[in-house]
Amino acid sequence: MRTGARQAGQSRGRGQGAPAGRRAFAGAGLLAAFVLAAACGPAKAQESAAVTSPRAGVTLVADAAQVVPGQQVRIGLRQKLAPGWHTYWTNPGDAGTPPEIALTLPEGANAGEIAWPGPDRFAVGPVMSFGYAREVVFPIAVTVPGRLRPGDTFTVEADASWLVCEKECIPEAGRFTLALPVAAQAAPPAPGIAAAFAATDARRPIILDWRARLAAEGGSITLTVEGDGITPERIADAFFYPQAWGVITHAAPQALEVTPGRLTLVAEKGQTFDPTAAHGGLIAVTDPAGATRWIEVAPAAASAAARPAGFADPAGAAAERLPLARAILFAFLGGLILNLMPCVFPVLAIKATALARLSGQDLKAVRLSGMFYTVGVLAAFLALAGALLAMRAAGAAVGWGFQFQSPVFVAATAWLMLAIGLNLSGVFEVGTSLTGAGHHLAHAPSHKGSFFTGLLAVVVATPCTAPFMGAAIGSALAAPVPVALCVFAAMGLGLAAPYALIAFAPRLARLLPRPGLWMVRLRQGLAFPMYATAAWLVWVLTRQAGELGVMIALAGGVLVALAAWIYGVAQHGRGRGLVPRALALAAVAGTIALLPQLRAAAAPGAAPEATAGTERFSAARLADLRREGRPVFVNMTAAWCITCLVNERTALSTGAAKAAFRDKGVVYLKGDWTNQDPEITAFLRAFGRDGLPFYALYPKGGGDPVVLPPVLTEARLVEALSRAAH
Amino acid sequence: MTTSSPSDRPAGFGRRAFLMAGAATFAAGPALLAAAPALAAPQIGQPAPAFTARDSNGQTQSLSALKGKVVVLEWTNHDCPFVRKHYGAGNMQKLQAEAKSQGVVWLTVASSAPGEQGAVDGATANGLTASRKAMPAAVLLDPDGKIGRAYGAQVTPHMYVIGKDGTLLYMGGIDSIASTRADDIEKAQPYLRDAMLAAVKGEPVKTAVTRPYGCTIKYMGT
Repeated sequence: MRTGARQAGQSRGRGQGAPAGRRAFAGAGLLAAFVLAAACGPAKAQESAAVTSPRAGVTLVADAAQVVPGQQVRIGLRQKLAPGWHTYWTNPGDAGTPPEIALTLPEGANAGEIAWPGPDRFAVGPVMSFGYAREVVFPIAVTVPGRLRPGDTFTVEADASWLVCEKECIPEAGRFTLALPVAAQAAPPAPGIAAAFAATDARRPIILDWRARLAAEGGSITLTVEGDGITPERIADAFFYPQAWGVITHAAPQALEVTPGRLTLVAEKGQTFDPTAAHGGLIAVTDPAGATRWIEVAPAAASAAARPAGFADPAGAAAERLPLARAILFAFLGGLILNLMPCVFPVLAIKATALARLSGQDLKAVRLSGMFYTVGVLAAFLALAGALLAMRAAGAAVGWGFQFQSPVFVAATAWLMLAIGLNLSGVFEVGTSLTGAGHHLAHAPSHKGSFFTGLLAVVVATPCTAPFMGAAIGSALAAPVPVALCVFAAMGLGLAAPYALIAFAPRLARLLPRPGLWMVRLRQGLAFPMYATAAWLVWVLTRQAGELGVMIALAGGVLVALAAWIYGVAQHGRGRGLVPRALALAAVAGTIALLPQLRAAAAPGAAPEATAGTERFSAARLADLRREGRPVFVNMTAAWCITCLVNERTALSTGAAKAAFRDKGVVYLKGDWTNQDPEITAFLRAFGRDGLPFYALYPKGGGDPVVLPPVLTEARLVEALSRAAH
Repeated sequence: MTTSSPSDRPAGFGRRAFLMAGAATFAAGPALLAAAPALAAPQIGQPAPAFTARDSNGQTQSLSALKGKVVVLEWTNHDCPFVRKHYGAGNMQKLQAEAKSQGVVWLTVASSAPGEQGAVDGATANGLTASRKAMPAAVLLDPDGKIGRAYGAQVTPHMYVIGKDGTLLYMGGIDSIASTRADDIEKAQPYLRDAMLAAVKGEPVKTAVTRPYGCTIKYMGT
């Protein structure tokens, strides 16, 4: 046996000598273990000999059949309890005590703390206990020393004691040894042990971006939790398990109230509740089907509720929050790169037209135009960010690009694009009564026009995020409002920068060709990207609002064209053209009147179709697959996210990519954010993201997910897939 | 044996019935919501719930008669591993001896329902006291759990200290390490002892509420 570093799996100290009775008990357990081991021949490497009593069968298990030097393996105390008996959580409630595990490990090995599975409640009369019945594994992550070589044996010893209670309580103890073979490759444990770990992992507390606060009033405590995915339809029951004794009266019922985005639990105040201290714990949330999830919360103390840092800090997991300076830099870069993203395709035409208008203008006008465009972009960014933050504050589960989740917005934008296209085609002119296109173009563009061009550029460009932007937006939305607005402003400056640069650098502006007929032709040509955009938006509507929605959008489009034509005729004709103008106005009014119809058509039933080889994303399915140790690729997409669609075409659904998914056994989960979906919003925010596209790749056999860049190439994807599947 | 409010020591029937009805309503409210109503714990600094009970020798003990003395209440169940920890190591006996020498009245209370673990009659209780060399002033028999419920006692050993004027000064664990290992006793903060000695000296109790640890009390009807 190696002289080992003694590692306490728990901070509770253990004494030197055991009382005689307990030693005898442990001795008997050991004897039984030896007999068992002898009878069964060589025991499975990943499960130790058992210490058994009429109440419990206890073993030490590992979640791998063989371990790899330098990597982690989970060692767990596995308890199989007789019906009616239970053991305890870290806060055992009113009675009992949690199990204690002291690991003895070879030199160079490290052990973490017990990862306590989420508990259940056990009431004995007026006394409430928190713990587990039937079967539970208490896992401890252990790092295998890097100096070990394949062929060696990694020996883990555990000294454990636990209390097992029915109505009566019996303390038990045991000493366990696990000899795990060291190999170059990890190997999954036997199915029975994998299932035991899986059952415990189903209870593993999860970290969501739920904000919690505690307030005490009189004899009760109100725990308020806000976050995505909280809806009355999904939460049938909830219970707050505080980490420490004395915060609440454990046995008292907790009154639950759920509204969209917010959950409150009113519990009886505990005997040692300290309003100035933080009280962490778990919220067990049970859905109507009876499935329970345990969510870690770290409610801010009532007196410190004003502090925004009272959030359940998701930093531990995959969420990456950036420091402010870097968030602003990333935002600027993201905005800059956004100019090159496929997403901005619809805006290119608007920008090109605006640029062309600068040709031949005097510098002052050019500069003013650039400034107004920048101001327009900034205003749009700030307005969007403000709306987003306000909706968040009101509890709505929305993310970046949320406006495209509304079919009304999509239809209105489609019509606007059509109208702009018709304008570029020369069907009608804006503002001036017409004396000739050339004349109009030769005039300085109106400042109002520049401003609205900026606005429009943002509204249309934002549904997709660029590299750097995802992390910045995620940070911004989690930050206090002024900081968030700073980050969004930086993003706006980035988006406006190239155009502003041309406007402000006279040399660059001089590079533009002289004005002439080319400008008219360019303008007419650029109408077609606008028509294409309108067509794409109508296609988005097929996903959002179904056939009726498309019908309404197309009918509206015809009315818009009619209005534009009549208005154009009026502009060309002599006189005031009051009648045609009135007719045009009537057509536009008719178009707008269609919008409420569209809202009615945007009923559910617009279920995203599952493409061959992909499965619909759900957090539960992902958790299941992770538990099985399967590699999983998660693709969050939306019909309105052009970058997503481009990636899909060029990288995700190519022959090579499909073959890689199939050969490597990577499960492909696809989430559709075309319409609002709190589950997807929650998933994105767990990564500190709020926009699309988003790709996460979970490696085989556990481990942290890798976030892939928003612009995918086939080679990059295939390489990542093979790495994830080893 | 009756449970009543401390303020109505000459226990008028009407008043008591009223209080009991009140208590019943109080208990029934949460009971409608959950199978297990919470015990209403008494408050530190408030008069400790009064009680009158028969002890293991058939004598009647009442809190009101003990005014002027510090009283310690110890809930017990001799088969509970947490109780055995403190009796097995001699810790409980040591505390009882100290209490006696300081003029503190130590009352051990058995609230297990008949047939449940820890249920004792007078003879058994006296036998346990003799065999364990324990020295409580008396062992109170509370088979219907009235005193236990009045004090919100949840576990064995659950400890209470009542001051000379009848106010509750301490409730909670016997010490700070919630285990069944005897060797933890030395390392633990002796909450009960600290509170008892402070009460004797008339000093404020620094830690007045702690986590009681132990086995659940096997109350009647559970």
